[in-house]
Amino acid sequence: MNVADDQADVEKVLAGDPSAFEGVVRRWQGPLVNLAYRFCRDRGRAEEMAQEAFLRAFRSLPGWRRESAFSTWLFALATNLYCSELRRIPARTGALDDIPEPRDPRAMDEAYELEDRDRLVRHAVFALPPKYREALLLFYFHDMDISEAAGSLGLPEGTVKARLSRGRDILRRKLSPHFGAPVLEREAS
Amino acid sequence: MRDEELDAILSREQEIAPSSGFVASVMEAVSQQAGAPPPIPFPWWRALPGLAAVVIAAGVLLIAALASILKGAAAAPTAVELPCALAVTLEFAKATRAGWLVLALAISFVSVKLSTLFAANGRHH
Repeated sequence: MNVADDQADVEKVLAGDPSAFEGVVRRWQGPLVNLAYRFCRDRGRAEEMAQEAFLRAFRSLPGWRRESAFSTWLFALATNLYCSELRRIPARTGALDDIPEPRDPRAMDEAYELEDRDRLVRHAVFALPPKYREALLLFYFHDMDISEAAGSLGLPEGTVKARLSRGRDILRRKLSPHFGAPVLEREAS
Repeated sequence: MRDEELDAILSREQEIAPSSGFVASVMEAVSQQAGAPPPIPFPWWRALPGLAAVVIAAGVLLIAALASILKGAAAAPTAVELPCALAVTLEFAKATRAGWLVLALAISFVSVKLSTLFAANGRHH
């Protein structure tokens, strides 16, 4: 992403040319829609939330103080909106306890097992309390970059690290009945 | 479950592409937004006299009520209770013709309402 392009488009918008905002939308539509999708797991809703984030960014452009990169500011604004939106209307995911535990994890087919495991882990992430879930989602969205995740969440890095650690602890505890010792032992070997 | 396993699973995220009409849809909303008149801020300057009157009146009433309660407490320190304090306040209100105070509060309220009404009318014209 070109920082100078963002800067130039923002200057044009602030000078009274709203159509210049299209450049910003084209450059950031993918990341913003994907970030929203990670929050809600619903394609239609993700696009609605991303559209609202762009609109809010358009309205708030005069307030961007250029202390950070445009992308950092945009992600922080979008994250804030997505978190509030999801707290207002949670994503349609059931509790982790609703998923039946496999009778014998060793009996499952390898591919099915992996797919099932991914699904379970993502489900468990959604069942986390919001502050841990948000930290985890942002951490993985930003390719495991704590400072980027902290910037998007508007929190100190230490707080994000603590939330990640606590979130992982909860996940481990929740997932232990689903991933028996044999599965972990086989993977460790 | 180890952190590395968790990292591997959660990093393997399915990417979605925005629909083809997404940019157009956002820009349409942006154009509407840009064409809309800016929101009218709350008329604080017009409302200030009314708000100040409310605050002053409430403060005077509170101080007077506290003074009466303290006076009552000094006279009979063991007998101060909430109903008693309320009675003292009401008596004070009667003695000081609190009706005027209520009238002042009502006028303040009306002035605030009128200022918001005028602001709304200004937006339509």
